Order: sequence, then structure tokens, then C-alpha cells
Amino acid sequence: MVDATNAAEFSRVDVSAITKTFKLQDRIFFFMTLASAALVVLMLLAILVVLVIDALPTFQTYGLSFLWGTTWSAPTEKFGAVPAVMGTLISSLIAMLIAVPLSFGIAIFLTELCPGPLRRPIGTAIELLAGVPSIIYGIVGLFVLVPLMQLYILPFLIATVGQVPVIGYLFQPPAPGVGLLTASFVLAIMVLPFITAITRDVFLTVPPMLRESAYGMGMTTWEVARNILIPYTRRGLVGGVMLGLGRALGETMAVTFVVGSVTRLQSSIISPSTTISAQIANTFGEADGLQLSSLIALGLLLFILSFCVLALAKWMIGRSDSF
Amino acid sequence: MEDTIRQNIMSRRYGRNRLMMTLSVVAAGLGMFFLAVILGTLLYHGISSLSLDVFTMTIPAEGSRGGLLNAIYGTVLVTFFAILIAAPIGILAGTYLIEYANGSKLAEVAKFINDILLSAPSIIIGVFVYGAIVVPMRGNSAIAGIAALALIALPVVNRTTQDMLLLVPNALREATAALGAPRWKAMTHVIYRSAWTGILTGILLAVARISGETAPLLFTAGYSKFMNAGFTGPIATLPVAINTLAADPGEDLKRLAWAGALIITVAILAINILARLMGGRRQ
Repeated sequence: MVDATNAAEFSRVDVSAITKTFKLQDRIFFFMTLASAALVVLMLLAILVVLVIDALPTFQTYGLSFLWGTTWSAPTEKFGAVPAVMGTLISSLIAMLIAVPLSFGIAIFLTELCPGPLRRPIGTAIELLAGVPSIIYGIVGLFVLVPLMQLYILPFLIATVGQVPVIGYLFQPPAPGVGLLTASFVLAIMVLPFITAITRDVFLTVPPMLRESAYGMGMTTWEVARNILIPYTRRGLVGGVMLGLGRALGETMAVTFVVGSVTRLQSSIISPSTTISAQIANTFGEADGLQLSSLIALGLLLFILSFCVLALAKWMIGRSDSF
Repeated sequence: MEDTIRQNIMSRRYGRNRLMMTLSVVAAGLGMFFLAVILGTLLYHGISSLSLDVFTMTIPAEGSRGGLLNAIYGTVLVTFFAILIAAPIGILAGTYLIEYANGSKLAEVAKFINDILLSAPSIIIGVFVYGAIVVPMRGNSAIAGIAALALIALPVVNRTTQDMLLLVPNALREATAALGAPRWKAMTHVIYRSAWTGILTGILLAVARISGETAPLLFTAGYSKFMNAGFTGPIATLPVAINTLAADPGEDLKRLAWAGALIITVAILAINILARLMGGRRQ
């Protein structure tokens, strides 16, 4: 009886109509997803197009000599990219020199030394460091690190390394506390958790068998790290370092607070200087005309720079375990 | 003789090991120390500057009473609408890349482009939105800020969705297909449900990331001392307010900046921990 009603009910339903609606709905859903994916791609193109169009006046005025111009002066309308680009490259380089060994050390600690129950809390604490907004690094850097640099660290550097021939050129006054080296320290602390997280994750991909046989042969922990972990994961490690470098290159607020914002090419790394991002953040609001266009051209350079670094990082890491 | 040589080698190896392991512990200690200094400084300056006024009054002129109400409101508004735009688009884009086009050359390129956007310097996004929206609109606006933050959140959500959909077992897709369910129903009723906690974690992390962003808002959302309910005028956000107030010579305004820094950091760390707990429960 029940079956009969159901069958009767069923025969009344127009299956082909339902299939049709389903097909239509499926098409709509498909095109929604396609359009969204296309939008992401278009956004990158849009960014490039807008940056190139807005930077065009600069390249029309100076041609490619913008790229090797060493002066940046708003009153005389002479704009060259070198001081800001050098600031960005040098500060990122020093930051990486500090952050990479520290990160590797923390990762070795977390994977090889740390007692089990402490592993998660310490790992989480390092990762939380990555969640702190960059402006916080900026103000803490300005109010804590800058006085320390000004009163103790920089005078010490000037008195010691500053007297050494050749290298001494890098450590000359003025050293008011804000400067390229201070910015490098803040950057190092900022990229530290990123590199640590990636390093730890790739260290954990080393097969336990390999690690244990090395220990079984009587290797010390350091020898295991040096001869097993690092060689086995070197592609991932280099990729992780490149990702960290990408972040350091583009970081804005933390640097803007502590770099001093003096746009001049100079040899001293402890004097006030600037970076691409700090230059944009500091002067974009008041700039117009050629200066604005030159700032956007700087932005375009930064975008290309970080694109290259990231593409290299992706290529090193491979798709599987990136970011 | 041989014994002494062996002993020398051993003591050198162990000595070096002890040195390197000490350095590694010191590195971990330094990492914890940095976090402690940042949080300690924030608490030290922040708590003494917190008061009810901070949450109930707008940004004052130096010397008068005031708070950060308009900046807090601005951050919530801009973040909310940015996620409202970015989350659906990001989820749908991730769906296309994994469910419809996975493995194709085009999808690989699209994934790569998304990863580039994901790691693009945020100030570049600000410069882009300035050229694309602020200039045509002739001024800073909440809309421009929302667009900039949405553009930063979009690749995060897209990437997380991709990663989470990849974790959904194929048997689920086959089972729903075998039941005769159309694809969109399979997605909304089965696949998304199975990946939901992961995607939500990604959205939370995106919220944490964009609510602390300063650089892309400097010349898009701009800054204002007043409560501004509209979308077309400049609107203050907490990070931009901190940036402006910390640079002010006035002591009261500096204290306000510290209060804002404490609020935004605690909020972001709380969201991060929440996301972590959700992600942890999944496993």
C-alpha cells in the first residue's frame, strides 16, 4: 500500500525538469567559482597595470636613469631610486644575517632538545610573535630599542668597530638611535617566527629512521643537525629563508618608526636612512605630481623585487609545503 | 697513545655539541624574551593608559578628555566588510582551483598568482587602491580601506580553502555523485561541511591579519578624529590612529596610542589563539 503511493507520487515528479534545474544551478555555481578564481588573477594584473600607469611619468621624465639616480630631493624635483632601494636591500640583508641563525637554533631546539611537554607552548609562543601587528613592533622598537641603541649599542660600535679601517666606514656618526641597523634588528625579530616555523616544519619531515640511525651511530645532536637535518632539508630551508626575506623587503610600519627617514646615499649603516616602504609611508600623503609618481615607481620596484624573491622561494620549496 | 687521540676527538666533538646546543637554547630563550619584552612593554604602558574613556569617547585634541571609540569602530567596520567581501570570493575561487580545475596548467598559474598576492607587501596594496579608488573618488574613504583589506584577506581565504578541500576524501565526492546530487549541492551540503572548521580557521586568521594592518590603510581609509558612520568619508582605524598618535609630541595622545596598541594586540592574539584551538580540535 505504502509502496504504491510512493510509486504514484514518484511518477508524478517530472524527472527531466529537475535534472534541468540541477544542470542550470550547477552551471551557475560553476561560473561563480570560475569568476572568483579569475578575479584573483585579474587583481594581480590590475595591481601591475595601475602601478605601471601611475609610475609612467617618472620613467618618461628620467628614463631608466631613475633606477640608478642617487639623489632624492623634492624641492629640486630630482628623484632617483638608489637610496631607498639600497636601504631596503641592506636592512633586509642584515636582518636575515641575524634572524637565520637564530631561527635555525630555535628550530633545532624545538625538534631535538626541547622536552615534550614544553614543545607546544614554546612553539605556540614563537608563532604568536608572528601574529603581533607590525605597528606594534614599530612603537616598541621606537620606545624601547631606539634609546638602547642611542645610549649604549651605537656608541660602543662607533668606539670599537668604527675605528677599524675599511669596515669603520659602516659605523660612523651621526647615530641618534634611529637608523638602518636599528631597523634591521626590528626586522630580524619580525621575520624570526616565520623562518622558525618553516624550519621546524621541514626538520620534522626528516624520516625518523634516518635521524635515529644517525644517533645510533653515536652522532652528537649537533652532528645530526649539521650532517642529517640541514642537508636533507636544504631546499626547504632556503625556500623558508627566501620567504622571510620577502617579508623583510616589504615590511613597512616597523621600519618606518625606527629607520629615521633620511633619504641620502651614505656608507654608515648606523645613521638615519630610509627604505622603499618607509619612503612611501612617510611622504605619500603630501606628495603630488612627479614625486608621487616616483614613489609609485619605487613601489613598482619593490613589487618586482618581492615577486622575484617569492617566485624563487616557491621554486625552491615546491608547492606541497609552502607558506 | 691511540686512546688519548680518541679521547681528544671525543672531547672535541662533545665540546662542540655542548657549545652549539647551548647556543640553540639561548636562541629559543631570546625568542621568548622578545615576546616577553613586546607584551611587557605593551602591558606596562597600555594598562596604565586604559580607562573607560578609551572605549566611550572619540580621539581628542591634546589636553582634553577623549578615547579611541571612533578608531575601534572604524577597525571593526572596515575589517567586517572586508571579510564579508573576501570570504565568499576566496572560498569560491579555492573551490574552482581544487574541485574543477585541479591539476590543469591554468589552475597551477592561478594558484601561483594567489601565492604571490598572499605575500605581496601590504603597502603595495595600499598604493594600488590609492590609484584605483582614492584618486577617482577624490579622497580617502572607508570604501577604499575596505577594498584594500579585502584584497589582503582574499588570497589568505583562497589558499586556506584550497588546502582544506584537498584534505576532503574523494570517497565523499564519489558518494554524493552516486546519490545523483548535483555538484553544487554536493559542495554546499557535504564537501564544505566536512572542510568547514578548517576554512573558518583560515577566515579567522585573515581577520587577525587584516585588523592589524596599517600600511595599506594610511592613504586609503585615512584618518579622522570624528565618529564617521558613512562609507565615503575618511575613517580612523586603530592601527592608523596608533601610528598618528604615537608620533604626536603630546604625552596624553601618546598614552592613548599605547592603550590602542594594547587593545589591538590583545584582540589579535585572542583571535589567533581561538583559530588555533579550532584548528587543533579538527585533528
